[in-house]
Amino acid sequence: MRETMRALLGLASRPALPPREPPPGPRDPDEPIISFRDVHLSFDRPILQGVSFDLAPGTTKIVLGGSGSGKTTILRLILGLLKPDSGSIHVDGTEVGRLGEEELRPFRLKIGMVFQEGALFDSLTVGENVGYRLVEDGEMPEEEIEVRVREMLGFVGLEKFYGRMPAELSTGQRRRVAFARALVARPQIMLYDEPTTGLDPITATTITDLIAKVRDLDGVTSILVTHQLRDAFNVARTFMAKEDGEFEPRMIEDLSTLEGTEFMMLREGVVEFRGTPHELQTSEDPYIREFLS
Amino acid sequence: MLTARGLAGIITPPHYYRELMAQMDSIGVQSLSIVVLTGMFTGMVLALQSAASLDAFGARPYVGRLVAISMVRELGPVLTALMVTGRVGSGMAAELGSMVVTQQIDALRVLGSDPVRKLVAPRLAAALIMVPILTVLSDAVGMFGGSLISVSTLGLSWEFYWRSVGNAMVINDLVMGFLKPLVFGLILSSVGCYMGLNTTGGTQGVGLSTTRSVVVASVSILSSDFFITKVLLMLFPVV
Repeated sequence: MRETMRALLGLASRPALPPREPPPGPRDPDEPIISFRDVHLSFDRPILQGVSFDLAPGTTKIVLGGSGSGKTTILRLILGLLKPDSGSIHVDGTEVGRLGEEELRPFRLKIGMVFQEGALFDSLTVGENVGYRLVEDGEMPEEEIEVRVREMLGFVGLEKFYGRMPAELSTGQRRRVAFARALVARPQIMLYDEPTTGLDPITATTITDLIAKVRDLDGVTSILVTHQLRDAFNVARTFMAKEDGEFEPRMIEDLSTLEGTEFMMLREGVVEFRGTPHELQTSEDPYIREFLS
Repeated sequence: MLTARGLAGIITPPHYYRELMAQMDSIGVQSLSIVVLTGMFTGMVLALQSAASLDAFGARPYVGRLVAISMVRELGPVLTALMVTGRVGSGMAAELGSMVVTQQIDALRVLGSDPVRKLVAPRLAAALIMVPILTVLSDAVGMFGGSLISVSTLGLSWEFYWRSVGNAMVINDLVMGFLKPLVFGLILSSVGCYMGLNTTGGTQGVGLSTTRSVVVASVSILSSDFFITKVLLMLFPVV
């Protein structure tokens, strides 16, 4: 349905970003790209309790919940920054929990992560931050890296900031640079950890538009963790439409028509709700009603 | 474990030369002024104090010998290490601690870097190179400070002072003078990195890590100084 919609809108005809290299080996299109099975994790208290979910390629999952509900932990588990106490986490067919740090390094190339505060390296310029992964990878010539970095900065509207230091940027600009840094290696999966927290509504909309742009124009699988309902619904509703040769963000008003985006709500490490944006809005669950109000 | 992994990171690739140069500049070049000042005044006060004591035995001519042995064996390495700990060890803990609380360490891992190789190994290597160099400078400046006081205040001649210094130095002094700064450099950089990378509790935690790194490194330097001296005196007894 999403593919049909993209084709009708003319989105599939011209990718906004250079084509990503295909993943090695044949892949079952119905196989989830991310799969959690009965995942438990505790520190001094239970963080996640029996969390299970699947995420199909090209779709978006929006994880909602209050502070300390375990939202960010899910992203850290996907990246292998944490190991589960029990249960399994498969990403693109690989069980992440079994990988050592050395094996995780190439595996993480598949994933882009936008951290809550951007997590830019203070001692590096904007250009060096964005190109960091490519330099570290060591396979691309320096000139090509600069071209790719400038392209990514252009994608987030910050090409003029190539030589600036992160300290010279506003909060919103830092998030956009973090966005470019996460995208530079053409990841199959994008993870967003509270990317709009602390931003004014206009800047937050810029970020949610970027999330929709990456999803619609490049078909990237995404997980967005947030407690900002407005921004969560903005991502769910926004789609890219081609007008006069340019892609512009547009909003779907009727949530019941939306496909490919699922909401999941966590409450103290337990999945409280999982369903479409429409089902979330029409839920009678008192906790969800309170959260939505 | 962190120190062992850091040392392994110095030997095996990938090497981060830019980071190493930055750390050598921070630990070495930028610490130069405080180390030189500390060494100079220590040598000068040592000459004054030792002259007062030696005069009781009519042994003032031995001031140069006493200043040289004290500086090379003990005060040069220990004071240099303590000054570098206060200036750089705390800075390492603060910088790495800030990187932890702002998720930059996580970002490094996600972007394909090993934080130990990228951050710890260059700091250990820079400390192992620069602390001995700073110590030699401190020793030299301390002996020079002692000579200034000896000539200007104590009535000794340049030639007599420096001949006394030359006669005092034996192989044992050189071994102590080079071995101690190596160990102290390893201690101060390891402690700074460990405290920084184990920071918890936000910006308040960064402050705590910084304080702890100075306290732990200083105590470790002073206590290890005793054991190194003990072992070296057993291996190379003073005749």
